[in-house]
Amino acid sequence: MTTKQQNQVEKIHLETTVAVIGGGYTGMAAAKTLAQNGYPVILARQENDGAWHDTSLTGLDGLKTLENQVADNGPIDILSQSTLIEAVGVPGDFTLTFMSEDRRVEKKAGAVVVATDLSSSPLTFIYGLTPCASVVSLSELESLLASETGQKEIGDKKKTIAFLVGFAHEGNPLLMQRVLESVRKIVEMDGCTAYVYVNNLKVAEDGLERLYKQGRDNGAIYFKLQTAPTVIQNNGDLRITFYDPVIRNNIELSPDIVVVEESLVADQQNISLAEILRIDLGPAGFLQKENVHRLPVNTNREGIFVVGGGREIQGLSKSLADVDNMLLQVRQLIGGGEKTVAAKAVVDREKCTICLTCYRCCPHAAIYWDDKAVISPAACQGCGICASECPMDAIQLTDFTDTEMTSRIREAAAAETKAAAPKIIAFCCQNSAFEAGTAAGLFHYDLPAGLQIIKIPCAGKVDINYILNALVEGADGVIVMACHTGNCKSESGNTYAKWRINDAYRKLEQIGIPKNRLEFATLASNMASDFARIVIDMEKRISQK
Amino acid sequence: METKNVLVIGGGIAGMTTAFELAEAGLNVHLVEKSGFLGGHAIQYTCKATAECLQCGACSVEKMLKNVIESGNITIHLSTEVETIERSGGYALTLKKSAAYIDPAKCTNCGVCYEKYKGTGIIAQGYSKNNFPLYAICPEKLNNDAAALKSVCPEGAISISDAPSFCQISVDAVIIASGFAPFDARRKGTYGYSRFPNVVNGLDLERIKRQYGYLARPSDGQPAKKIAFIQCVGSRDEQLGNLWCSQVCCPYALRTAASVKHKNPDLDLTVFYMDIQNTGKSFPVFYETCKDNIRFIRSIPVDIFPIENDCLNIRLFDESEGTPAMESFDLVVLSTGIMPNPDNQKLSEQMAASLDTDGFFKHADGLDRTATAAEGVFIAGTAQGPKTIAASMVQAGQAASGVLKYLGVTK
Repeated sequence: MTTKQQNQVEKIHLETTVAVIGGGYTGMAAAKTLAQNGYPVILARQENDGAWHDTSLTGLDGLKTLENQVADNGPIDILSQSTLIEAVGVPGDFTLTFMSEDRRVEKKAGAVVVATDLSSSPLTFIYGLTPCASVVSLSELESLLASETGQKEIGDKKKTIAFLVGFAHEGNPLLMQRVLESVRKIVEMDGCTAYVYVNNLKVAEDGLERLYKQGRDNGAIYFKLQTAPTVIQNNGDLRITFYDPVIRNNIELSPDIVVVEESLVADQQNISLAEILRIDLGPAGFLQKENVHRLPVNTNREGIFVVGGGREIQGLSKSLADVDNMLLQVRQLIGGGEKTVAAKAVVDREKCTICLTCYRCCPHAAIYWDDKAVISPAACQGCGICASECPMDAIQLTDFTDTEMTSRIREAAAAETKAAAPKIIAFCCQNSAFEAGTAAGLFHYDLPAGLQIIKIPCAGKVDINYILNALVEGADGVIVMACHTGNCKSESGNTYAKWRINDAYRKLEQIGIPKNRLEFATLASNMASDFARIVIDMEKRISQK
Repeated sequence: METKNVLVIGGGIAGMTTAFELAEAGLNVHLVEKSGFLGGHAIQYTCKATAECLQCGACSVEKMLKNVIESGNITIHLSTEVETIERSGGYALTLKKSAAYIDPAKCTNCGVCYEKYKGTGIIAQGYSKNNFPLYAICPEKLNNDAAALKSVCPEGAISISDAPSFCQISVDAVIIASGFAPFDARRKGTYGYSRFPNVVNGLDLERIKRQYGYLARPSDGQPAKKIAFIQCVGSRDEQLGNLWCSQVCCPYALRTAASVKHKNPDLDLTVFYMDIQNTGKSFPVFYETCKDNIRFIRSIPVDIFPIENDCLNIRLFDESEGTPAMESFDLVVLSTGIMPNPDNQKLSEQMAASLDTDGFFKHADGLDRTATAAEGVFIAGTAQGPKTIAASMVQAGQAASGVLKYLGVTK
């Protein structure tokens, strides 16, 4: 069976149910949106979902209202007190197992939306302070300001309130907005004073600079410091001191209340969700790497999306923008439940020995097995890492078969060029270097006369044989061009390429071929001039031999 | 259902993303761009990678531009503006196409016109290989050379008439993605922008990087060794009445500084700032590495004046020392802020979508920042307020989603 014969377009059925994990505001909004659009929803909730939420917006539907709306929106299957414990399958056909109220529940879903919330805790301990009536967290102050008795307590006694912000951690606009709002409320109370000790004011969000000015106009005083002031707590008495370089003296204040900043971090359960769902855990425990190919709500796996606080520190407005983007993605993936897909990679079942190398190396978790390895056409991104890693050469990409690649290499090596010009074959990732190389030509940059560019789907598809073949066929130099670290659409294609280059160096050394005939470089699609410089440099180096 | 038509005003990253998402959803999209190129400001930025990607998003713009030109459902109107608009169930529009343009049906990107008029500014070259045509006529630079210019093109692709041409289209919804205007640094007179050659803004720096491949001083083309970045030029400025953070300049300066320092560790870099804003999820880690390689001074300089060899003295009040200070640099980069596009006023009147006090488009809903008070009119990207490339893309997707809902494609 040749790959060409296997290269068939097939119609697949996709489960239209979507599982939403997380029942806070974002999760419920996601469930509601999906249900309204005809996608039956499984909403996996936990007891404390929605415990932390963005309070910066007023006039918001209460969590309860949204809960009722979700309940009214028909096909929503709410699994309460549930934790995902297992997930298998591919886009359009996931099987998820939850522990829900101590029972094991198995559900089918075509797509998964992770909508875990942020969580927050006071950072009082970092300042060495003990929580008490005069040392409160930002949330506690907000509750005070929201209640009549609290307002009375602060307003009638004309209290002086000091804030500590940005010393225990860098902070973010979401927390800053809450500080600025609280400050505004305090200074609007007759006789009350607000002092804010702050490191970097995180005002990179609509409206915050104006809010900052409003507070100052009403008398709030900001001390912008690089390190935290000294805070001494003696029972109920508080003393804050810092050195002011301008007046060359210590400035000391004794506020009635000190408000201590809070953390805002990713949900702890993201770690286990990442493992179960086989999606990459990004920085700071968020469920999305900072790879620009994942924007806005994608993960490394097709059919698994992440929204709101699950992927970033963001408030409700931006989280709901994620939900809207998610709907676009779900519609594109599932549509009405049927879709025509073309296989990008196929397994030769006669050659496959089910060693599962492909299963382990696939960055998109697109491979599973029956009695042989199977590649899901809906999940496969066609990077070709598996094809190059397969020890049995049992996997072929339909658009880049080894036979075709071999003949392309031969043609490139045989291409006519100026007599003295060294032949350079550049294997270029279609997402980056190939674009840069094409642009370099179009923008008339100087390029080596003997340069031949071979397009590859991802640097991870560069087989060591390609490199050796190119040299054997007559190339004077070979260069493999991948995406920058962290920018590979298939996450690890560039890493695999780098490994193989190092392997090739060892082989070249054994054969006695100079190392400078092979090079590895990373590029972005918009780096035409760098592309030109890299290949010209290589030409110079080879010509010097 | 009958295929719906939509109009997207502005071909920057937000407009392109909205157009692409709507085209993917099966709608017919008209994408109107005033200039001769798609990509807006965002396409002008270069990659900021060090040994690794720093997520500046510039390559995402490149990719989106490619998506747009390859999409079968998007009609691209370059060098075109909205002349009139009328409500008639949907919207009936007259589009005005510039009197001078290069016909994409005939242009082969040979570059003859560009080479011939190099240095005159009459023919501009696009920033991306996906700009087609790769060249555009700048009508404001065109004097009496119309006939000569026309005859330069071997394909007869240069079209210059006496008057602009008009065409009528009808659409069911409109998305305003008119983008921003960079702050004109000349308004901060004491910094000497446009008077001192080695005081540049971010976009100038991008052009320099493209042209030289390193940070050259405009005065002599020599590599700059000691470079200052001044943040908040035009943003967070009470005197100017600009009470907003532009949100992109700290990430820009930090990534640029990290990237150039990686390529040339001998560079001496200083960032003058008020408050450093975050770059992303890995900011705390990234900021620490930046602090190891870049000097941060928390002070916004008072003024800049030239000294010998076109170097520049920066005067400031050093807050950490509590004393005035002065220091010289080879090159000063002004992190100029995001200002509302001056076209917003006219667009606002045409679309009956109001502006906020700062001149950005006002969102009618506290939560959904893409909805306007005008029926069937949506906003995306920096037309609504300062935004990074990534944030513009997210909002553009939301705007597309809003349009689909408005048109009854989704619920």
